[in-house]
Amino acid sequence: MKTVFLLFFLIAELSAQSTSKSDIVEKARQELGRRLFYDADLSINGTMSCATCHEQRHAFTDNNSVHPGALDDNGKRNVPTLANVGQYKNLTWSHNHLSGLAEQALTPIRGTDPIEMGMNGHEDEIAKRLSKNECYQKLFVIAFPKEKGAISLATATQALESFEKTLISNNSLYDQKKKNHELLPTQDAQDGEKLFFGKAKCNSCHRAPLFSDDDFHQIQPEHQAVYNNMKDNGLFDVTGKIKDKNVFRTPSLRNAALTSPYWHDGSANTLSDAIRKHNIKINHTLSDKEVNKIIVFIKTLSDDSFINNPQYSKPSSECK
Amino acid sequence: MKIILFLGLLLSSLFAQEVNLPVELNAWKSLAYVSAAKSAEELSTATLEVGKASYVRLNNTPKMKYVVRPMNEGGTVSYGGIFQIDIKESGTYRVALGNASWIDMTKDAKAAQSIAHNEGPKNSGIRKMVDYNLESGTYVLQLSAGADSSTAILVTKIK
Repeated sequence: MKTVFLLFFLIAELSAQSTSKSDIVEKARQELGRRLFYDADLSINGTMSCATCHEQRHAFTDNNSVHPGALDDNGKRNVPTLANVGQYKNLTWSHNHLSGLAEQALTPIRGTDPIEMGMNGHEDEIAKRLSKNECYQKLFVIAFPKEKGAISLATATQALESFEKTLISNNSLYDQKKKNHELLPTQDAQDGEKLFFGKAKCNSCHRAPLFSDDDFHQIQPEHQAVYNNMKDNGLFDVTGKIKDKNVFRTPSLRNAALTSPYWHDGSANTLSDAIRKHNIKINHTLSDKEVNKIIVFIKTLSDDSFINNPQYSKPSSECK
Repeated sequence: MKIILFLGLLLSSLFAQEVNLPVELNAWKSLAYVSAAKSAEELSTATLEVGKASYVRLNNTPKMKYVVRPMNEGGTVSYGGIFQIDIKESGTYRVALGNASWIDMTKDAKAAQSIAHNEGPKNSGIRKMVDYNLESGTYVLQLSAGADSSTAILVTKIK
């Protein structure tokens, strides 16, 4: 009996040690990823970091329609929020085959349509630059013990993934009231909530709690004339299937009041414009008053603790 | 090196003269040379004047010691610089810049919040314009994360 007990104790102890070791590694990756997120050495001319477009004060968007790249190439799509990004299967506005956030990070870093950070063909330069930095030398060793602290694009993007997974937004007024089983504070917000989940059917795609169904939809007209004028084919560019033309992923409405302008190309300046841009039957039956109430509700999804969380902000220059 | 900079200055001036600029940006047509400071200690030799455009030489980012840590400090291969500028009266000021460097207008070690961002007039050579509501006083204008070792800058009062 004693032997069984000792064996059980030993296994439990080893398992606890291993968990704590992997926790330390994950924590180190998150901290390293945070530092990399704010580091412009990930762009060809050192002008652009992830945070250049994903600014915390705008819920990790940038308030521009689209953002030009490091070499001043025109942007193509509106910067999406990173709130709860670790909880999505599909990433970016229109990709359904990315294996995770590490692979997604390669799109801005070395993508060519459009050129954002401009590192295509210069990937080794990232490792070269980071390797010269003593702080990174230390942090990669702690974050990637199995890889012996290897500084590479692969380990850097894994660290970015770890950091991005920490970006959780679940403390909006809506969340707080929901948690306490309380009503939203104003009649307009309550009416807006009712419309959102009821008559207006916003929740069909902008599904709570993420306020996105993580799926792809076509909500602009299917007319040939629209197709002809399109500069962005959406999911079609990934799948090559005609049915995916003009199809984009549902953006989350969490913090939407902080992330104007809207739409995949940033063509809707206000929430009202964005709602009216949905070419779906129900939209044509909503009055302006009802749209305004839906907007009042959407504003309750803003999460101040998310945009002010010091754990997401630019890390101090001190290496830790 | 200076010859190249002056040549750039000349070309830039000629180029800008072909474009009809709004009154508040007219000074962009005539540029004086200023070398950016690397740290607060060098600021006395890196002074900008409101309403006068300058062609500025920037420093490699690793050499920079900013007064206020910029949100975008720039990578090791980028360029930056700091300047001193006296704002004599409170109002809305526009910083027009020839490249896309990150701009911080700082006073008493605090960065002023920008109120508007725009691109410059077409073919003007102005890449970006950022507006600020400023109180009177001496400011440190910081440029960081620049792609080029030189650029042109104008601070002008618009309201």
